[in-house]
Amino acid sequence: MATSSETVRVKVLFFGRLKEIVGRAEDSVELPDGAPIETLFSQYGVSHPDIVRFRSSLVASRNQEFASWTTPLHSGDEVAFLPPVSGG
Amino acid sequence: MNNSLQSDLFALVHEPIEQDALIRHVRAAEDGAVVTFDGCVRNHSLGRRTLYLDYEAYESMALAKIREIAVQMHEKYPIHLVAIAHRLGRLQIGETSVFIAVSSPHRPAAFDACRFAIDTLKRTVPIWKKEYFEDGAVWADGEMPPAPLETRTAKPAS
Repeated sequence: MATSSETVRVKVLFFGRLKEIVGRAEDSVELPDGAPIETLFSQYGVSHPDIVRFRSSLVASRNQEFASWTTPLHSGDEVAFLPPVSGG
Repeated sequence: MNNSLQSDLFALVHEPIEQDALIRHVRAAEDGAVVTFDGCVRNHSLGRRTLYLDYEAYESMALAKIREIAVQMHEKYPIHLVAIAHRLGRLQIGETSVFIAVSSPHRPAAFDACRFAIDTLKRTVPIWKKEYFEDGAVWADGEMPPAPLETRTAKPAS
């Protein structure tokens, strides 16, 4: 079992206006194993305060599935913060 | 009931959608109906004149979600085959952004399933459009996909 002190690397994807605010489509970050998606978002909120006001309209995903903000993250996970979708 | 998911067709394309190919794909001798939906770029949005649109997608997830829609279509309606294509990149007024074709032995199922497909696509598939106007551009107001409120049992990390 991984210990809580272990650090893992996850891939983060940005789309739409979030991509414009953060200034990149893709990122790779380290965080404690098992940290929830919410924690990851909060880290970006520190470096990019403009994204915080969009939090209530975002849906998170983990490994191409919609996920709750409390979902724990592990090594190699792919996380995205999805603005309201407008395809079609 | 035919469950022909393995024969269904899903695509995200950066070139014009080949609508005839999608129709040919779903059309079969045992079907009495092919219903299609052609979603095209409108020249106005909320009273402003639209110049063009840029579409982008979380492509791997979008394809997976489109496939899920087809699974649901087969579960809910007695249809035969499904073809769904969404275009990405810059689209001009009048161009087709999404095209759906559904075949069924009898027409009610194909009509109902096609309507279900476009309505569900617009709510659940991670695709975004930016609308360009004469005086600026905005990301279109979208819909929040239904997401789980609680953590599900996490799959083991790979």
